[in-house]
Amino acid sequence: MNKNGAKISDIILRTENLGRTVPAESSSRVVIDSISFEFHRGKIYTVVGPSGSGKTSLLRLFNRLDEKSRGEVYYENRRIAEYAVTDLRRKIALAFQIPYLFPGTVASNLSYCCPDQTVPDDSSLARYLKLVGLEEELAGRDSEKLSVGQKQRVALARALVQEPDILLLDEPTSALDPGASRTIEELITNLNNELQLTIIMVTHNFRQALRLNGVSLVLVDGKLIESGDSKALFTNPENDLTRRFVKGELR
Amino acid sequence: MIETGFVEVAIAVSLMVLAVILSRWQRVGTEKELIIGTIRSFVQLVAVGYALEFIFDLENIFALLGTLMIMILIGSHTASRRAPGIPRVRMISFLAITAGSTVTLGLMLATGIIQAKAQYFIPLGGMTVGNSMNCSALVMERLHSEVTGNRLAVETALSLGKNWRQAVDTFFRKAVKAGMMSMLNFFKVVGIVTLPGAMTGMILAGAPPLKAVFIQIIVGYMITAAVTVTGIVTAHLTVRQMFTSADQLKI
Ligand SMILES: Nc1ncnc2c1ncn2[C@@H]1O[C@H](COP(=O)(O)OP(=O)(O)OP(=O)(O)O)[C@@H](O)[C@H]1O
Ligand SMILES: [Mg+2]
Repeated sequence: MNKNGAKISDIILRTENLGRTVPAESSSRVVIDSISFEFHRGKIYTVVGPSGSGKTSLLRLFNRLDEKSRGEVYYENRRIAEYAVTDLRRKIALAFQIPYLFPGTVASNLSYCCPDQTVPDDSSLARYLKLVGLEEELAGRDSEKLSVGQKQRVALARALVQEPDILLLDEPTSALDPGASRTIEELITNLNNELQLTIIMVTHNFRQALRLNGVSLVLVDGKLIESGDSKALFTNPENDLTRRFVKGELR
Repeated sequence: MIETGFVEVAIAVSLMVLAVILSRWQRVGTEKELIIGTIRSFVQLVAVGYALEFIFDLENIFALLGTLMIMILIGSHTASRRAPGIPRVRMISFLAITAGSTVTLGLMLATGIIQAKAQYFIPLGGMTVGNSMNCSALVMERLHSEVTGNRLAVETALSLGKNWRQAVDTFFRKAVKAGMMSMLNFFKVVGIVTLPGAMTGMILAGAPPLKAVFIQIIVGYMITAAVTVTGIVTAHLTVRQMFTSADQLKI
């Protein structure tokens, strides 16, 4: 229930026969093949699948960095094309697999998304840094003088500054060692708990999906072949392709 | 006054023969290019000389504008071939060069600084279009390489809710600057390291040096204005072609 007492839908994002075709050498190539799915508010989702299965492509359709070819995406029950695209992207934030920080300080990166009059003050910058497990002293640091893990966290904090409803994460731990990956995973769980943020994270590692303990979507060749509670899905896969993926036979 | 009879030309040719012999003797390996270059430049320049003799008899404004239009068409075609990968590249360079040339030539004509006579109009038009063409090509080339080389930076900005114009802002400015660089460098060295060709030519032809200097100044500023207009128009039109109406990068 929202403050007016009206019931707000539990479903925050929904796809309906969503498809994307890209031009290829001679013909065209289907990268997302008729995906229908409902994402519920405040949950953690992991999109899992072998390399080239369309995980990144799917995320890019959600914030309209790419255009769909068929079907529809609904955010808060409205077609995403009905929103001004810049507003949509503030509501559905995307953190790329390789974090890109703009030249300048960490602080200037954090306030990048903000119009001049709404630039966060030092104390709220510190709060965002703390949220991603960074010291507030880092705010004045040159963005180029950071470790990969720190960059990843700053990029995450920067996405959070725009106060999104949904956070899309594309393999946020792929460049990190196992220890650093674990802390990012904990961070993601905390963000989900503290901010009630809906998180959709791409990973090629089903064990990571198990640890995050949310709902998983298994993608193979652009198709959603199986979905459900991560634990159940990966400990007892129903689909043969999921089983082969878990065994490491699909790369 | 420099003499320009057959004997004098023959002596100049013999200097080229000397250059060929020297190249051969010192095994520089450029004699073939030198010979071809000598013949080629001779034929091209003489042909242009005859064409100009013919055009200079024209006093008709439509004939002059027609000539200018042909120069712009050739110029935009040449510029567009240097920047493949940009949609509607020929249209972009055509519009940009036309804008740059008409604004400056138009102003010069309107203020009576030059008269609508082939003797002034054609050489000035040629210089304006030539420099604008280089600028347009440079700007398109630079924008294309900056944006394709910084795809992640552009899409990061888009994902943070910036519009397409804001997302390419730094590259836009870099490209326009690159297009104007040769002009800006020219200003730094002119009169100190180099004497511009037009001015040298006038002095050789017997004009008083101060008169030649002022003509050069007028011509220089005029070309700079044309180049600036062309560069900015090129950049605007090029950037627009790189995005869909939903602020999606499409190159
Ligand atoms: N714009 C495009 N043009 C051509 N092909 C594309 C385009 N975008 C994606 N593809 C293709 O679509 C397929 C899916 O790509 P995508 O990046 O979504 O896979 P992924 O699951 O994220 O893979 P990875 O785990 O390696 O990151 C790939 O075969 C890719 O080459
Ligand atoms: Mg990917």
